Amino acid sequence: MRRATACGLAVLVLGAVACGKSEPPPPPPPSVTAPPTTLPAPVSVEAVSLGNAIGPDKKVATPAESFAAKDTIYASVDTAGTGHAKLRALWSFVKGQKTAKVDETTIEFESSGPAVNEFHVMKPSGWPKGDYKVEIFLGDAAAPAMTKSYKVG
Amino acid sequence: MVPEDKDDDMPDFSDVKSGASSTAPAASVYQTYEVKPGDSLSKIAKNIYGNGNEWKRIFDANTDLIKDPNKIFPGQKLKIPAKG
Repeated sequence: MRRATACGLAVLVLGAVACGKSEPPPPPPPSVTAPPTTLPAPVSVEAVSLGNAIGPDKKVATPAESFAAKDTIYASVDTAGTGHAKLRALWSFVKGQKTAKVDETTIEFESSGPAVNEFHVMKPSGWPKGDYKVEIFLGDAAAPAMTKSYKVG
Repeated sequence: MVPEDKDDDMPDFSDVKSGASSTAPAASVYQTYEVKPGDSLSKIAKNIYGNGNEWKRIFDANTDLIKDPNKIFPGQKLKIPAKG
């Protein structure tokens, strides 16, 4: 009788242990990592084109590399990026190793995305025949971001 | 444009007219002028704007560079706001 009682008790204890067996702990929640921060792209010069006319969008109507003496010459400059933008156009006459400054004009603006900028020069008495260039500088950089050469005559 | 020291071998570009604009809002446009010996703000304004009384426009655009409008120095590069 005692043996039967002991066995019964053992069965009961084992059963209780089996029933009360704890579930495996739930897996920890996946760690949440912050997405990488993407810095806005700084202002950059994307393209420069020359022509003797621009449209209302400030883009050159017909790109050209040669102009007539009485032409107004336009340089259309595409920029992209965000931030403070300082765009300078330096127009020069080139004769051999010498250059003569024709004009220097700067545009400053706060850029929030793509923009089109235009610079233009005209000479009432007519452009002398020869080689010219326009250098587009960004910020206070010593070297131009882009240079375009053209001819008159 | 105020005539620069002219190289006789090179053409004269003193009568060149220029301008600029941008699709970006509130863009400011200006030329850069390098002060020469004997220059004054009114003389520069007279040559560029045709009116010496416009010197204040040049001064206001260069307060970071010019503290006294009567004192400008050769070599200083001034911002010249566009006409109009």
